[in-house]
Amino acid sequence: MAQTAERENDVIRGLRRSPAGHLADAFSQGSVSGEQGVTLREVPFLTMIGVRAAPGSAVWDRLGAVMGGLPERYGQVTGSGAGDGPGTEQGVSVLWLGPQEFLVIAADGPNALGGGAAGASLLGGLLDALAGDPGQVVDLSANRTTFELAGPSARAVLEKSCALDLHPREFTVGTAVNTQIGLIPAVLWKVDEAAFRIFPRASFADFLGRWLLDGMREYAAVEVP
Amino acid sequence: MLLFSCPNCGPRDETEFHYGGQAHVPYPKDADALTDKEWSEFLFYRDNTRGDFAERWVHSTGCRQWFNMLRDTVSYEIKAVYPMGGSRPDQPPATAAQTQQKGQQS
Amino acid sequence: MTTEHLPEHPEFLWRNPDPKKSYDAVIVGGGGHGLATAYFLAKNHGMTNIAVLEKGWLAGGNMARNTTIIRSNYLWDESAAIYEHSLKLWEILPEELDYDFLFSQRGVMNLAHTLGDVRESMRRVGANKLNGVDAEWLDPQQVKELCPILNISDNIRYPVMGATYQPRAGIAKHDHVAWAFARKCDEMGVDIIQNCEVTGFLKDGNKVVGVKTNRGTINTEKVGLCAAGHSSVLAEMAGFRLPIQSHPLQALVSELHEQVHPTVVMSNHVHVYVSQAHKGELVMGAGVDSYNGYGQRGSFHVIEEQMAAAVELFPIFARAHVLRTWGGIVDTTLDASPIVGLSPVENMYVNCGWGTGGFKGTPGAGLTFAHTIATGAPHALNKPFSLERFETGALIDEHGAAAVAH
Ligand SMILES: Cc1cc2nc3c(=O)[nH]c(=O)nc-3n(C[C@H](O)[C@H](O)[C@H](O)COP(=O)(O)OP(=O)(O)OC[C@H]3O[C@@H](n4cnc5c(N)ncnc54)[C@H](O)[C@@H]3O)c2cc1C
Ligand SMILES: [Zn+2]
Repeated sequence: MAQTAERENDVIRGLRRSPAGHLADAFSQGSVSGEQGVTLREVPFLTMIGVRAAPGSAVWDRLGAVMGGLPERYGQVTGSGAGDGPGTEQGVSVLWLGPQEFLVIAADGPNALGGGAAGASLLGGLLDALAGDPGQVVDLSANRTTFELAGPSARAVLEKSCALDLHPREFTVGTAVNTQIGLIPAVLWKVDEAAFRIFPRASFADFLGRWLLDGMREYAAVEVP
Repeated sequence: MLLFSCPNCGPRDETEFHYGGQAHVPYPKDADALTDKEWSEFLFYRDNTRGDFAERWVHSTGCRQWFNMLRDTVSYEIKAVYPMGGSRPDQPPATAAQTQQKGQQS
Repeated sequence: MTTEHLPEHPEFLWRNPDPKKSYDAVIVGGGGHGLATAYFLAKNHGMTNIAVLEKGWLAGGNMARNTTIIRSNYLWDESAAIYEHSLKLWEILPEELDYDFLFSQRGVMNLAHTLGDVRESMRRVGANKLNGVDAEWLDPQQVKELCPILNISDNIRYPVMGATYQPRAGIAKHDHVAWAFARKCDEMGVDIIQNCEVTGFLKDGNKVVGVKTNRGTINTEKVGLCAAGHSSVLAEMAGFRLPIQSHPLQALVSELHEQVHPTVVMSNHVHVYVSQAHKGELVMGAGVDSYNGYGQRGSFHVIEEQMAAAVELFPIFARAHVLRTWGGIVDTTLDASPIVGLSPVENMYVNCGWGTGGFKGTPGAGLTFAHTIATGAPHALNKPFSLERFETGALIDEHGAAAVAH
């Protein structure tokens, strides 16, 4: 049973198209290396699970136990993947979206979403922990895609159209917030001194991808002294 | 562009928020018992204060939480931000309750 | 009847009288509606011992801040009737008032960008025809013929799928309209009193008998409120509430250009409307700022978005410069229709709720409101627009026809 389901899942995985897949070449061509470089790539198909729980409730504690604690304040990221640098999706990260709303992010694959057996996967484990009490655990993996904007000029690119104070004194590594970039609502996570993950909803991925590329273009030009 | 201080997220651009109109308008206790006039008051009539106005906002592209704000509708100066369920900071709680009552009946 | 140049006019078009001790009727608000009401009170009902009280200067409110779109292609019978009557008055007023205020029937186009838009538009064209309102459905090619600078290609986010068109609709020069009414009112003996703010009302029981102003108390038999964005404030002084919310509404103009835009184009969907004034400015506007506001200004992102929409529809505007932006205070209702009729206070009448689209209604409002004040009962045309409709549920929902309004 479990094996059949797993095989079916593999088939389905092979059929998936990521929201910005068609821009992959444009992203790599638009990426700039060097001292004022900035690179953009899509990290497709990350597992995303929406979690809701009231702080202080028993559900909160049980859900937290599955992932190494839920974030308790604005900007906070918890979980074993909280320290993941760019390009690594090893652990499980939990992003604070609101006082009772969190986004769980993990690598793609059966360990996250499972083949049906309760408890055997991250999703199953969270559902078990919820145990039907008030709260929510929902697979939202298809809701958003992930962009990784990195390099010495990454912050400058973002600052063109994100009104947040992104100065490192204010916006420290390991901070994730829900905000707007350009006209697009997106979650922004600073994973490293010069690397950000951006999570736009799937239908905005094309627009935001091109928008960021446009913002990157000037760094490819030779600096006028 | 106005700058609002979300109680959860801190200062953010107005474009991240949605307006919810007048604050402190309770749902009628017994809606079935209202006359047409009272029901129309609840549906269609809201204060339209020139001056300090208690209103609701939601941080749509942030924490998605509602909060109350006291804002001057002439200068647009934000006088206070306070939680849903809290009473107007410029009025003692009792008066605030009376205002609600009045809002419902007048 | 267009002229190349603005008409010459004498230095003073009206006296600046001090308020008398008493009047037969007092109109609060010296915008278009207050002036038109006074004009029809004097002309149609022989009431000349009346005053228009204006707290600032004449037409300093929305009257000289609006974008002057005049049309009558509203969906419902009640609206079509009053707006069409108003349009017919616009057609004769330049002569009647003996003032060429540059009423230009260059047509108004309402673009459709989605199948939903197309269906709504065709339905409205049908409804308009049944009500004797000139209305046509245009396909994209016909749109392009009428307005060559419009981008009708299908490589934009919301391609133009067609438009409704009202040929008799158009624009006029708003401040001149106010001056035209004011001059005639003055000639007939109406006192137009500027810098006169109404601060309260004198009542005998539930009957209004006078107004308090910063220039003294004035006794009067009747009071007509034409205070647009301030209607709620005045109603509160008089002891009643109105189902109105006042919002900032902004507009902007570009610097002067050659005449490139022959008609008026409105788009509810991408949310902008554009015309070109006689002098050559591109005049643009869109929806209200979301919050309640009496500040006569709004937020920058609102005009930024409408400019983005304008550039998408009219690529030629990309290099135009914004000359000026401003805001007014508009009195919106929940069904996007005005309130013209009696109030809970005896002898006090309300004309308000015209929101983002009352310039076009100026003559119609004036005529029907004057009738209401003079006779104490509504005219057939404004009867459906009573305050009671919010209680009876007989709302006149014009959000479809008035989504970018005006
Ligand atoms: C930016 C903008 C664009 C618009 N575009 C269009 C359009 O294209 N087409 C259209 O049909 N409509 C449009 N409108 C709407 C239109 O302008 C209004 O509906 C209409 O002008 C309202 O009537 P009015 O002229 O009498 O208002 P106003 O000119 O605002 O008159 C009200 C007057 O009352 C006075 N007043 C207030 N309180 C007191 C007091 N206590 N005592 C004495 N006087 C007082 C005010 O000072 C003001 O002069 C637009 C409005 C705005 C702001
Ligand atoms: Zn927030």
